[in-house]
Amino acid sequence: MAIAGDLRIFNFVDIFQILRKDKKDGILVIERDGKNFAVYFKNGDIVYIREVQKVFYVYLDVDFEVVLKKENVSKDEMYNILVARLPHLLNIKEGKFSFTPGFIRYSPDINPQIPIEKLIMYLSRQLTPEEVERKISDLNLVFEKSENFEEIAKKAFLTDYEKKILHLIDGKNKVADIIYQSKMNDLIVKRALYGFLACGIIQREKKKERKIGFELTKSLLNKIISKIKGL
Amino acid sequence: MAEKKIKIVISGPYAAGKTQFINTISEIETVKTEAKTTKAGEKEKKDYTTVAMDFGRIKIDDEHTLYLFGTPGQSRFDFMWDILGKGMVGLVVLVDSTDPATFHEARRIINYFEARYPAPFVVGCNKQDLKGAWSPEDIRTALDLGDDIKVLPLVATDKENVKRVLLTLLDEIAKYI
Repeated sequence: MAIAGDLRIFNFVDIFQILRKDKKDGILVIERDGKNFAVYFKNGDIVYIREVQKVFYVYLDVDFEVVLKKENVSKDEMYNILVARLPHLLNIKEGKFSFTPGFIRYSPDINPQIPIEKLIMYLSRQLTPEEVERKISDLNLVFEKSENFEEIAKKAFLTDYEKKILHLIDGKNKVADIIYQSKMNDLIVKRALYGFLACGIIQREKKKERKIGFELTKSLLNKIISKIKGL
Repeated sequence: MAEKKIKIVISGPYAAGKTQFINTISEIETVKTEAKTTKAGEKEKKDYTTVAMDFGRIKIDDEHTLYLFGTPGQSRFDFMWDILGKGMVGLVVLVDSTDPATFHEARRIINYFEARYPAPFVVGCNKQDLKGAWSPEDIRTALDLGDDIKVLPLVATDKENVKRVLLTLLDEIAKYI
């Protein structure tokens, strides 16, 4: 199914979050003013960035070895080229994006060059107040650490202040409490939380109790279920 | 005997299909509070929009009636979320699967209700029959939802689809009774 949209509304952090979650293989195409980038993903991580004049060129090659050959790049040079092209890609704030899952075939020796978690945190540190409001829209939200948060945090190369914010996430503290206790600026805390969520370091608090605003009994609930089934 | 009202809230961003969802399942013609859309960006999508709430009704027995309340989609009407959230037994959040621009608003709605009225809730990924629809799993990630929340494919014009979403919500409610 489609993963496509507008970069002004869905930024790179949001896109990388989705590609990272299911460890997707495929090609992310960014189109802007005739300048197009193809970003090659393996297991949810970026392995290569290619600039193409026309988008359909991307879909002519189903084998990554052929892509490298056309680009005249050896496997040893991939990292340096990726590092050189990344800033150009990540500076793009407007344009269309679309992700085609699968499609490209990688040989087993093609490995991720830079952990996507590191890029997510790098980009999160630059989010605008409007952008952070999209995820951290309520000071009463409560988050908890994910099961494997330490492993992910290692890949994300957190700063000292991000580590301090992470330490305050315990499934009880609200966003407002974290801002207060950390003595940090709202935006810095919200940017960190945004990045942690996108990386999978934290998640929404899984509620053990939920409020039901009516004295609903099992038998009444069964009546409602039967009624709906019969409609 | 006085009627006892059981309330389920149907929320979601603008043009997610809330009124349609209620229309499809309600036993009465949905009571709408609509006004002509005038704002740029909204009038291109539909001619009329909910400004207070919509409601549909399903009679359960002589004593109980299930009301489905639809919230307005635009955030300028978010004072209605508070009014409708009080006393609800469950919440359905609808998203337009073809319009990722509205996912942030869906997340804001979920954040609001989760922080204030944490009733059981499910997400219905509407318009799954249309080209360009995001998969429910990708929408789950985009909305920062864990595996504990049911995120379901939906075509709100299809009665069986709507029933499945409501029945899933009722199963979730059953876990907390």
